Amino acid sequence: MFKQSLMLFLLLTVSALAAQVEKGSIHIKNGTVLTVTNGILENADVVIENGIISRIGKGLKTPSGAKVVDATGQFVMPGIIDAHSHIALDAVNESTHPITAEVQTGDVLDPLDVGIYRALAGGVTATHAMHGSANAIGGQCETIKLRYGTYNPSDLKMEGAPRTIKFALGENPMRVHGEGGGLMSRTRMGIEHTFRRAFSEAQQYLAAQEAYTKEKASDPTAVAPMYDRRLEALGDILKGDIIIHCHSYRADEILMLMNVCKDFGIKKLVFQHVNEGFKVAPELAEFGAGASVFADWWAYKFEVYYSTAYNAAILTRNGVVTSINSDSGDYIRHLFHQAGKTQRYGKLTDNEALRLITLNPAIQLGIDSRVGSLEKGKDGDVAIFSAHPLSVYAIPQMTIVDGIVRFDIKEDSNDQRLDPDPEKVDMMMLDYDEDHRCMEGTGEALLHNH
Amino acid sequence: MTKYLLGCICSLLLMLPSGLNAQGSAEDRPPVTRAFFLNNAFVVQSPGKVIDLGGVLIRDGLIQAVGKDLKAPADAKVLEADSMYIYAGFIDGLSNLGVPKPKDDENANRGRGQREYNPSYERAGIQTERSVTKMLSAEDKDLSEMRAIGFTAAHVVPHGDMLPGQGAVILLGGKDAGKMVVSEGSSLFAQFQGASGVYPNTDMAIMSKFRELYQQARQHKMHAANYAKNARGMSRPAQNDVLEAFGPSIDGERPIFFAVDGIKEMYRAITLSKELGFPLALADVTMGQKAIPAIKASGASVFLTLDLPKAPKEDKKEEETDAEKLKLEEHRAAAMKMHEEQAAMLTKAGIPFGFSTVSAKAKEVRDNLGRMIKAGLTEDQALTALTTGPAKMLGLSNVMGTVEKGKIANLLVTDQPYFAEGANVRYVFVDGMPSEYEVKKKKKKKPGDPDVKVLAAGTWNLEIDVPMEQMASPTLTIVDDDGSLSGRLVSGMGTTEISSMSLDGNNLTFSYTTDGGGQSVTVSFDLTIDGDSLEGSMAAGSFGSFDVEGDRGPK
Repeated sequence: MFKQSLMLFLLLTVSALAAQVEKGSIHIKNGTVLTVTNGILENADVVIENGIISRIGKGLKTPSGAKVVDATGQFVMPGIIDAHSHIALDAVNESTHPITAEVQTGDVLDPLDVGIYRALAGGVTATHAMHGSANAIGGQCETIKLRYGTYNPSDLKMEGAPRTIKFALGENPMRVHGEGGGLMSRTRMGIEHTFRRAFSEAQQYLAAQEAYTKEKASDPTAVAPMYDRRLEALGDILKGDIIIHCHSYRADEILMLMNVCKDFGIKKLVFQHVNEGFKVAPELAEFGAGASVFADWWAYKFEVYYSTAYNAAILTRNGVVTSINSDSGDYIRHLFHQAGKTQRYGKLTDNEALRLITLNPAIQLGIDSRVGSLEKGKDGDVAIFSAHPLSVYAIPQMTIVDGIVRFDIKEDSNDQRLDPDPEKVDMMMLDYDEDHRCMEGTGEALLHNH
Repeated sequence: MTKYLLGCICSLLLMLPSGLNAQGSAEDRPPVTRAFFLNNAFVVQSPGKVIDLGGVLIRDGLIQAVGKDLKAPADAKVLEADSMYIYAGFIDGLSNLGVPKPKDDENANRGRGQREYNPSYERAGIQTERSVTKMLSAEDKDLSEMRAIGFTAAHVVPHGDMLPGQGAVILLGGKDAGKMVVSEGSSLFAQFQGASGVYPNTDMAIMSKFRELYQQARQHKMHAANYAKNARGMSRPAQNDVLEAFGPSIDGERPIFFAVDGIKEMYRAITLSKELGFPLALADVTMGQKAIPAIKASGASVFLTLDLPKAPKEDKKEEETDAEKLKLEEHRAAAMKMHEEQAAMLTKAGIPFGFSTVSAKAKEVRDNLGRMIKAGLTEDQALTALTTGPAKMLGLSNVMGTVEKGKIANLLVTDQPYFAEGANVRYVFVDGMPSEYEVKKKKKKKPGDPDVKVLAAGTWNLEIDVPMEQMASPTLTIVDDDGSLSGRLVSGMGTTEISSMSLDGNNLTFSYTTDGGGQSVTVSFDLTIDGDSLEGSMAAGSFGSFDVEGDRGPK
């Protein structure tokens, strides 16, 4: 009976997520099309019908009712994907417990955040709206599409994207819960223990549920174990239903988490920041873990001094699926510049550099069958630039999500907020903060720590 | 100024002997009569249904008769109502009226230091087992202020965090908290208010905790039912009042009322209701017109906030010419309009609604209703949302919401149509007992004149327009000792000696410090004396400024 109601609950959850999302048709004409998976097509068209790319090629016919965009002299690329972001969120950290696997940033999406529009103006079409790094096991994250203009938070969710969860190693969880909270964990050893104990408890929970399922057929007195959302979520990680995205810096800890995952049979793992990833690149490749890094950002706390701008290139050359992320409402606006830095530091090819902000983050989020490259059948998420996006002279011209134009430099007004304060005129620039929200909600936000 | 008529007599008696300390317990005597008669009035029985020059007879708390050509029974007190307007008393969809705010407890400062990783239900703000009926106080000032603008009943809920407890519909009057209650346990109240320093602190944890509690409540309910059938050999379900309180909602019988602060919280509440299947009511709704399909699909009862953003004060220094600033002002004005026209837009979309006052101030409510009407809501629609609409949504249409025979005598009497500019509330009946309101003459304080000689010394009987009865009619005695003024103020609050007063021409000023609910408050009077009368104002710190009038008493 309980199992049935749980199933019903899950079904209802799924239907609740399936919001009606606006989709459009667009014919982008005569641009230089950077497909990422299929080379560069000069003077080519991209046709999006009802939100899906239907054709790519030369001299295509405009479907009836489609908007026509002339991209002559411009560059057309897949919409940029940011695998680490905190825009469009009303809350980032539930910092009241070292393990909060049950909370979901998908419950606190903020469609009114003007930061979404700012990201669109940098060619970004999807982000990974992450929980912060206060807890060893943080909350589940939400992969969102930047459908700016809606008031319904659920409209932002990329329907069907796999579940992901934030983990954190090192100083942040040690400080919040060890030094600040006076409890676990004060040391890196303690963080490992937090993971191992959590997964062990989840194993016991799953075993109890399984035992109950077996018993109840023959024993009417069987009682189901009490529903526990935290253990449910941890159990889902063990079952392989959730991809771990772990905040990390030091090589020793990165190896530690891979060992923990091996011991518990967990295969879906992406490291975030991973500044010392270059030291353990072969091990990451062997495990099959992804790495989502900054181009050249470090030294903001002790564990982030041993870093290099060659990190992305070294990881890429070692066969690690690597992406470059922003973790910032500012950097998200020029991820194409961040990707370009890997050509100065590491000599990545144009396509390798572009993959860092398109197909590779898509792979890390488990959405590469839908987005990350321009291919027939993929979502109509496109960014158009005035020049090659890896050029410092490139200016984003138009950003399209599901075939709907969400940013057009020609239609850009100074105030793009959806809910201005009705009581006073506030100057936009006063609102503009280059915010780093990894530690928001911990009382340490001002310390500016990732 | 509010007074129950019978209460009024008692307090007059107490005040008569030149303001000796008016404290002391007035013996509660039964009222002389519980029959009242109002005649020759426009009786708005329900929105759009008006009896011209009709009467209403009230007896023993109920409406006994409504219609034309009624005669006053011999035992009924006849109240002056010629050409006045009689409405059904208003019903508030969600508030804390009559529920005193608990003193800040130690929780407020418990966020720092050693963390509590497994807070109790109470510490986490999960108190579904509590009923607001155990917390009621008829003395609440907000309650009498809301009554003075026509509200006679309210769905009230406890203060607290995420799940503060069960709500009840109460009448906004009466001395006995028990008699105020119309329907107990009529809702489970929820809000996106995190616990300070412990889980659940953010909205994402509240969402998760809510789902978990609801699922556990279902499981607990099923376990208890199975155990009742087949106890032998089965492990016993633990007693859990918090989970059991979800039972009626799981059965679809008790709505969960969410007070939502903004459209995102509204969507979150709708998400929970959709996932878990409980009947939903949304209160304090704003920007509802941006969520019409979701509201309709949710089937929720909707109560719009009676609070509206305030327009910025016109700063008429110079004409703004900066194009960007002008554009920003345009956006601001559009945002304001969006709030004002919410009610009209929901009406247009066919979504029935009531109003909630939980975040509104009584003195702004009538203005705000006026702004909504100006933005497209009709007066009848506004009246519906104040009377029949909420009565229906709270399941109380058979006892309130209209002026009809047999309903609880909750009535509002005004001298002009309620929504007309300058209309005054004259009587508010709650449960058949009237409060009478005097028409306030708005006088501008005459400026003091330094060249006029007046006599300040003497005994002055003051009337202060303050919503505290003990302070409303004090006596001020002024002694002139060779040009040096001192005085004594005697009120229901006690006696205050004023060591120094200043008289500049006819402008008398003085101040003193008193204790106002644990904090020190400076009370300042600024009065202008004109012969044997005076007028002016009294300022009492953050409590505001109040009009003062007075006459010189006999020597």
